[in-house]
Amino acid sequence: MIRFENVRKSYKKTTVLNNVNFEIEAGTFTVLIGPSGCGKTTSLKMINRLIEPDAGRILIKGEYIHSLDRIRLRRSIGYVIQQIGLFPNMTVEQNIAVVPKLLKYQPAQITDMVHELLAMVKMPYKDFAGKYPYQLSGGQQQRIGVLRALAASPPIILMDEPFAALDPMTRSSLQDEVKNLQQQLNKTIVFVTHDMDEALNLADKIIFLDKGNIVQMASPEEMLENPATNLIRSFMGKRIGGPDQPPEYAADFMRTNYHRVNKNKGIRECIESMDRNNVDSLLVVNDDKTYAGTVSLKTLKNSAKSGVFALKRKGSDGKLHHVITPHVTCERPTSFIDEEARVCFEKLLETDSRYVVVLNHDDTIAGIVTDTSVAKALADVFWSDEI
Amino acid sequence: MTDFFQMYGWKLAEAVLVHLYYVVISVALAFIIAVLMAVVLSRLPRLSRVILPAVSVSQTIPGIVFIGVLFIFLGMVPLTVFTALTIYAIFPILKNTYVGIMEVEPQYKEAALGCGMSARQTLCMVELPLAAPAIFTGLKMSCVYTVSWAVLASMIGLGGLGEFIYIGVSTNNNALILAGAIPAAVMAVILSYCIERLKIRSLTWQQRREIQ
Repeated sequence: MIRFENVRKSYKKTTVLNNVNFEIEAGTFTVLIGPSGCGKTTSLKMINRLIEPDAGRILIKGEYIHSLDRIRLRRSIGYVIQQIGLFPNMTVEQNIAVVPKLLKYQPAQITDMVHELLAMVKMPYKDFAGKYPYQLSGGQQQRIGVLRALAASPPIILMDEPFAALDPMTRSSLQDEVKNLQQQLNKTIVFVTHDMDEALNLADKIIFLDKGNIVQMASPEEMLENPATNLIRSFMGKRIGGPDQPPEYAADFMRTNYHRVNKNKGIRECIESMDRNNVDSLLVVNDDKTYAGTVSLKTLKNSAKSGVFALKRKGSDGKLHHVITPHVTCERPTSFIDEEARVCFEKLLETDSRYVVVLNHDDTIAGIVTDTSVAKALADVFWSDEI
Repeated sequence: MTDFFQMYGWKLAEAVLVHLYYVVISVALAFIIAVLMAVVLSRLPRLSRVILPAVSVSQTIPGIVFIGVLFIFLGMVPLTVFTALTIYAIFPILKNTYVGIMEVEPQYKEAALGCGMSARQTLCMVELPLAAPAIFTGLKMSCVYTVSWAVLASMIGLGGLGEFIYIGVSTNNNALILAGAIPAAVMAVILSYCIERLKIRSLTWQQRREIQ
């Protein structure tokens, strides 16, 4: 259906495509993927001649596209872009009807087509046909973008990262819809993305490009099983070799942003810092950064009220301050980083402390384990990329 | 008051019509020329970097000087007035239309190309409609300016509301000055209101978006 023969393209000194050869069969869903600057969008735009190659030839159904009329060629190929690009001065109906109108279809025929197309994406004609693009959500806009590409029933549709700007939920439902439409209508779709999950979901064939060369051309299954290079392996990320090792140590569940003070800090300063950060206790460290204990907002406030101050130290401004040292306690549960996560959880659940302090083996603080840090670590395991 | 109208009523009505005639014809001509120029310049951004500043400098020549010079070459005919007013009215429309076309977001142009629109179709179906708010703003500015510049027509004896003002000034007759100035001001307000209505009506999508 579409064949690239020795296609090259360079801008000034950078080579964008370096002698690329591939063939796309009719009725298949082909995904071009690769890091940015790999030439995937350039290849796509060559198919409808938005970009011309420096050398080599592209054939569609055995015809060299460079000998065809550029405008006629584009009207026979659907095109969906990332920024959606619905014309803001036209209604949904007018947007869908753009290409059929350019091709001078009968008005009655166009109206029928718009009805049919809107029904396919479950957007009732009477509710949506008269709306302007700004009145639609991002997902609805891109549905119309896809319908605009389908309207004149072109056999080939080009999609340039069409769902990159949508939220994950909308993206996955649009992916399903597009895949269904492609199979129902038996279209040849060429789809550019940098998201391997998207490629694996949609593609019959994935073409992986890097620096203007095809690195691997394979079905999703084959690419998952035998990624040709480490770059592809890294694109596959967590999809390769089953799920990650489940987290099992305290260190896997802790968070590393916590509020820490030196034990020689002034009381007032600590109270202010806790108020400002909206926490009710601070981790206290000795001068050598080892863990000294914790101090709670309540004790500090009580001591400030009762006016009993045991120790004064010179502060940074040269004045004497009441320091927190006498109020530091060691009641909080602690764990070492390589302690089993289960033991750490038990400490968290069985004491009424809101967190467990995780220590390195030299007694410095590594982090804290809280309810939320546990939940987040678990969520990461289940939905690795999406959160 | 009634005396004034009995004396000058018909003359005033005639002056208003002549004034309006000068304004409408000049602005209409300027509109056509300016939009065509803007379209051409938008295809040749390099040329426009020279032409737009040049046109803008020419605007600083006082109208009274320009109309005087034209009078020497063309004589005491309405053509002199139309030429001068048209040339002055071009710039605001040209500048706004040019900026409006240049500011159409590239995504719409890419979509238009991808849909298989020719350059002319892209211009008429996408670029000009999207530039329309800017074009109307330029048209409105031109109209308001031209109403005031048309006063100069009477300087070369070709009537309009300027006649009242000049006679009023030279004979120290305040009533005559006001009889020329007030209708001119009212005309400017009415014309700019009409264009504003036109703009809103032709831009339902834009208007609704602004309200939202």
